[in-house]
Amino acid sequence: MKRIVFVLLSVVLMLLASHVGVDAKIRVVATIPDLADMAKNIGGDLLEIKSLATGVENIHAVPMKPSFAMLLNRADVVVLMGLEAEHAFLPALLEAARNPKVLQGAPGYIDCSVYVTPLEVPTRIDRALGDVHPMGNPHFNLDPVSGKAIARAIADGLARNYPQHEAVFKKNLAAYLATLDAAITRWQHEAAPLRGVKLVSYHPDMLYFAQRFGMEPVGTIEIRPGVDPTPGHIVELEERMRREGVKLVVRELHYPANLAQTVAQRTGAKLVELPVMVGGVPEARDYVSFIDYNIRTMLKAVQGG
Amino acid sequence: MRSIAQVLIVGTVCLFSTQALAQGTPGQTRTPDASAQQLRRDLEIMKEQMRQMQEKIQQQEEAIEKLSTPAAPPVPTPTPVPAPPTTRDREQLKQEVREEVIRDIQPQLSAATKTFPSQFNPAIGLSIDNIFAYRQHEGNNFEFRSAELGLSASVDPFVRGYAFFNGTSDDFEVEEAAIVTTSLPFNLAVKGGRFFADFGRLARFHDHDLPFVNRPVSVDRFVGGESQANGFEVSYLLPIEHYVTLTAGMYNKIGAENDRVSNEVPRDLGEFTYLGRVATFISLSDAHSIDLGASYAYTPQVASEEKAHRYLAGLDLTYRYVPLSQAAYRGLVWGTEVFFNRENRPVGGFPTGPTIPSPVVFERNNAWGLYTYLEGRLSRRFYTGFLFDYAQALDADVGDTKTYSPYLTFWPSDFQRLRLQYTYLTQPGTEQQPAYANQVFLQWTIVLGSHAHSFRDR
Repeated sequence: MKRIVFVLLSVVLMLLASHVGVDAKIRVVATIPDLADMAKNIGGDLLEIKSLATGVENIHAVPMKPSFAMLLNRADVVVLMGLEAEHAFLPALLEAARNPKVLQGAPGYIDCSVYVTPLEVPTRIDRALGDVHPMGNPHFNLDPVSGKAIARAIADGLARNYPQHEAVFKKNLAAYLATLDAAITRWQHEAAPLRGVKLVSYHPDMLYFAQRFGMEPVGTIEIRPGVDPTPGHIVELEERMRREGVKLVVRELHYPANLAQTVAQRTGAKLVELPVMVGGVPEARDYVSFIDYNIRTMLKAVQGG
Repeated sequence: MRSIAQVLIVGTVCLFSTQALAQGTPGQTRTPDASAQQLRRDLEIMKEQMRQMQEKIQQQEEAIEKLSTPAAPPVPTPTPVPAPPTTRDREQLKQEVREEVIRDIQPQLSAATKTFPSQFNPAIGLSIDNIFAYRQHEGNNFEFRSAELGLSASVDPFVRGYAFFNGTSDDFEVEEAAIVTTSLPFNLAVKGGRFFADFGRLARFHDHDLPFVNRPVSVDRFVGGESQANGFEVSYLLPIEHYVTLTAGMYNKIGAENDRVSNEVPRDLGEFTYLGRVATFISLSDAHSIDLGASYAYTPQVASEEKAHRYLAGLDLTYRYVPLSQAAYRGLVWGTEVFFNRENRPVGGFPTGPTIPSPVVFERNNAWGLYTYLEGRLSRRFYTGFLFDYAQALDADVGDTKTYSPYLTFWPSDFQRLRLQYTYLTQPGTEQQPAYANQVFLQWTIVLGSHAHSFRDR
């Protein structure tokens, strides 16, 4: 009997000890690799970072795995895009994770949309408009200037939780923003041929990117956000593309190839296949190379390379 | 009596008149002269504020002028070159501009951040589930299956609450109404009220959330439909890297259609149902995973069965293939649950006629059942699957029930679903009940309003 009591007590003590671990690193869980990469640039060695998505997923359909709940259970902070981009998986995972530190509204809940001016904020919230995001289009990570706003939000969020490291976060943020600024100047110069080019994408993922580089989004293959197209919609879209001289059809890599290819062929437009997150293609190793890849791929299509 | 009433009326009138006098006093003493004086004072204060603002603007303009002049203008006489702006100057200028901008947009900000009492209303969702059914030997019918209203919200920083009200063609009931803690230490969570007990997998799904039209016979027979229970549950998420949860529960009974026990009659501690469950998740790769769970429900004394004990054990396994880049288009789920039940049952079943034989003879009986289904996602909107279901009867010497059900599901959007299912049913044949039946179902389900993706319904 004594032995059983001893074993049980040992197990309880071990479990309790695991709750009060002395791991010095700040455990960060980012929802997508873009945020993980930026957090790494800002927090450096102070952070231990995990990303829930790998980059190849549709951010609205990341599988809700219990193993993610465990990552969130042990997290000190969670870094998310916000504007309900992660509505399909994050709220339920946070509930399952039982970690009050990272619940919405807690200091450990770092929403990266706070410094972003959202586009496509609906004037009417109605499911007849599809799977609309009431707070606006959440795909702002494709715009590098919004990328700067994301970095700022991460640095502020980390400093809010760990004021003792604020100076480090600020210094690293300044260095990272300088890197982004230099890259943005280069991208704006390189992307000059994209100005005025009209495009159609599968889902409204390209809005912020298009606005940044002067492109004109004309429509989407989806009839409404999150709603598959009907044949009638495709006919209308193709007519409109011909009428308005749309040159590009963008297929975000997690959407099916066949339909996008058919629309491009029928309208004489070029098909461009793009990732929407870091890690979506092997070349998009980090945020800068991700934007680099998207601009180069777009330019290649426009310039006929 | 009359004199007391008179005293009360006089007292009330006095009180009112005192109040009226008190309220009326300032109005009566304020004269037109006093108002004019007050206006003059206000005007003076505004003039002073205007003067201060003008001074400030002038200072700012001078500072901007000073900082924006790159070099001294060429003049014949040597004049002192303005010092280049220091970092401090720049910061001060930035700060002033920032404050100015914020002052300008403050009215719009205030308008945008207004709150309303209704913002605290819970999230509300309504699901409507309809079926057209053809059952061989019975006929055809349009069945309004349910309209289920769901509410959920945080109560305070410590708990949240949710409720589901279910209306069917002949009944209205509170299906769930529960309180769940959100911030207990040590990975603990406590749930209380009426809710679906943590037994197995599909018993915790609402009818309209099932992957097929009807709940498997095995779940209905052994659990009693949805695992609805009045009681409380404590669950613990083990603080290890691997996902493991342990649940312990105590309830009046488990099963919405379990009529062995009444929710209304008070009972001894031995007549409650006690539950233990362990569940885990095994990630085989990024795309392949297995959910595994074992549940055990124990009732020490079932009053309607000679106060003998009953236990129900269940094992559930769900394999999933979800390719990450195509999660919205492709996938495969294989779900299986096995049940084993042991309890006292009356020989020949519970008596129902006007003359009840006494005493009723009970005997101990074991029974088991299972369902297994395989469902493939063909595209974003189409799923197809096949369900096999097997359940022994709870009573001895009664045959088994089996169903074979292929089905096709079409989701026009995430909030609307159409499903076609064929079921071949074999069951113990009696005079009232044929031994087999072909059945066809067409189901149409929608969700209005709030629709949270629940972890429980994975």
